[in-house]
Order: sequence, then C-alpha cells, then structure tokens
Amino acid sequence: MKEKLISALAEALEMDASQVKHDDIFRDYENYSSLTELSVLAMLDSDFGIEIEMQEFNNYKTVEDLINLVSSKQN
Amino acid sequence: MSLISFNNVGIAGMSAAVPARVINNYEYDLYFDKKDIKEVVDKIGVTERRFADENTCSSDLCHAAAVKLLTDMNINRQEIDLLIFISQTPDYRMPATSVLLQERLGLPSSTITFDINLGCSAFLYGLTVAYSMITSGSVKKALVLDGETRSKVYSLKDRKTGFLFGDGGVAALVEGGEKYGRSWFSLNSDGSRADLIKIPAGGYRTMSSCETITEKVVDEYGNIRSDEHGYMNGADVFNFVIREVPKDFNRLLEYSGVEKDAIDYFVFHQANSYINGFLAKKLKLPSEKVPATIHKYGNTSSVSIPLTIISELREKLQGKKRVLMSGFGVGLTWGTAIISLDNCHIGEEIEI
Repeated sequence: MKEKLISALAEALEMDASQVKHDDIFRDYENYSSLTELSVLAMLDSDFGIEIEMQEFNNYKTVEDLINLVSSKQN
Repeated sequence: MSLISFNNVGIAGMSAAVPARVINNYEYDLYFDKKDIKEVVDKIGVTERRFADENTCSSDLCHAAAVKLLTDMNINRQEIDLLIFISQTPDYRMPATSVLLQERLGLPSSTITFDINLGCSAFLYGLTVAYSMITSGSVKKALVLDGETRSKVYSLKDRKTGFLFGDGGVAALVEGGEKYGRSWFSLNSDGSRADLIKIPAGGYRTMSSCETITEKVVDEYGNIRSDEHGYMNGADVFNFVIREVPKDFNRLLEYSGVEKDAIDYFVFHQANSYINGFLAKKLKLPSEKVPATIHKYGNTSSVSIPLTIISELREKLQGKKRVLMSGFGVGLTWGTAIISLDNCHIGEEIEI
C-alpha cells in the first residue's frame, strides 16, 4: 500500500519515487503546482477510489498523511 | 429529484458561428514566456481558440448562426414562437439580449423571448425549457441561441485561466415530432460552491468602481487580474467534477433505462482536455464515441457541447442517433441529457 501510494504520487508529480519520503510536506515539492495538483487528485480517485472534498484534502500536509488517508479509506 | 423526460420533441437543426481570429496558444506570448505557456497548454490541450474583436458580442455570433440555420432550413420566421438566449456575456445588463435578437432576426412580436444566465451546463437547461414549452402545446418552433465571448471575461495575465477560453455562438431549432421519441434530462445546482468560479465585482452586490477595475497581482506566481475579471479555482472544480459528473451520468442512464452501449456519442462540455480525458477514462467510454473540440476552440462555456456536435458530428448524424450530453461548471451547476437526433440538419460553422 505504502509503496503503491508513493510510486503513484511520484508519477503524478513527475518525480522519482526514491525522492519521496514519508515526512515530506508534499506541497513543498518543486514540481507541486496548480497543474500537478490535478494529477494528485486524479491519482487518488482512479488508483485508490478516493473521492474527497478539497477542504479535507487541504488538511493533509505530509506524504504520511496521504498514506494514512489511503489506508483508512481502504479498510 | 431533478429528473425530467419528454416525448416527441427534439432538435431539428443546428448551426454555429465562430470569430475568424484564430489564437495560436503556444505562440501567444504577450505576458508569459513560451516555456511557461507550453507547460499550461500541454495540460489543458487548447492549441487554438477563437477571439471575438471588440465590436463582436455573443449575440452577433448567435445572430449569424441563426440566420444561416433559418435560411438553410428554409424556415418561415413568422413561425418562431420562442427565442431563448443563453449567455453570461450579454450585450447589456438591460434589456435582455434575447429581445434584441427577436428584432434583429425579424421574428414576430408574438415571440416569447428571455435570457438564461447560466454557464457550462446551460445548453441542457435551455433545451429543457424549450422542450417543456413545446410539450405544453402552444409553442411549435423554438430557437435556442447560445453564445459566449469568454475571451473578454478572463485576464490574459492570469495563467490559470488566460489560455483556456474561446468564443463562439450556436443556434438550435427545437420542434415537436414523433420521430424524436423519448429524451431524458438531469439538472443540478450547488450554490455553496458559487465562489469557485466567479466574477466578484461589476454586478449589484459589488458595483463597478475604479477599485474593481484595477489590476492586481493576486498570487505568488505573479498572476494579474481585477475584481471584474473571472476567477476560477481549478483544483476545487476539478475535484468536484470528477466526483459528481460520473454520478449524474450513471443516475440518468439508470432513470432512462438506456444501455450505455446503445448511445452513439457522448458529448461533454469542453472544460479542458485533462478533465475530459479523465472523465472518459473513469466512465470507460470508447474514444471514438467521445468527440472533442477543446484543441481548436478551447473552452467556450455553454457553447461547447452544441459546438462540438456541429463541428465533429456533422458527417456522422445521418439517420437516428442517440446522443448523451454532459455539462458542468459555474454556479456550480451540472446536468446530463440523453436525446435522439433524427437526420438533424447540421450547418457548417461560419466565421465572422
């Protein structure tokens, strides 16, 4: 699960998966922009079936937060 | 439950007019360098779009489209009972542009005219009103005119919206007839999301002033706009659309009892190619059934659904075809429709 999320997130942000660490604040990545944000939202929807409100999404700060989101929705 | 069905009413013919001025987005480097532009344009897929000049309004594009349609189909203008003008870029705040078009088109003073002020879903709303009035029995022929000059709404110095929008106008003739069979519509609204796409000033809540027309840097990227320019929160809109549009799509399929495979074409509002690609993939639609004009006309708001039918399906609508339409945007409002087109007359797009 963790690996799948990290690899999908890296792909959405056009980064190498090895650069993505659990504690990273993903909005601080150089490649994070209003355009790549769409790819992240699309990835959560199509790869993990996660449909969330932006208000909720905006509360998530770190890669770990996204991993927890994916784990909680899948349980 | 906003689900509606009609019997024996439909679109007899359609035509479109677009401005002759073509904007090549990759070369449109007035305010941004080509590297930044490429990043945006690659994602939104708008290679070209059309810009109306300062003297051309949505109504002028619709007028040209309507004249062509009425002439090509040899329609007696005295027979038009209803004219609906759909736009958020009218000629004036008052009077309603539809009334001006009644006179310009030489329609009788017995014509019912009014404007519908809605965005990307509005063609479906307009059709629903025309279908209802025809179903009532007293209206025989209705003109649904749908035009936008969105190029005049958004700041060209805001890269979030400056490369997306284009202009166009369409005319559709709606009438009764057994050949049209059943049609189904779902219409929705969510005003709690009104701020996601908005022109904050220039209406009566915040009236036009020197302050509201002053351009300002609005974010860390250096995008510039005034309070009388359109604003769009792309991520929030995207997130809403990918969640709600497929739900509405499936809800209408279930209500109508029409099998997905029995639909010949799926025509979506041309929002941007990224959203449209995502929706087609999520709904598992074969690409040959999903026509697109986003690459050549950009996002023309409510015009994009009929303009895509006119531009891309002209040669493909012989005989009876079942078409699903899906519109979504400012409001927010969204809707889905399933209609039948039976040898629908489609005129070639004209340039003015």
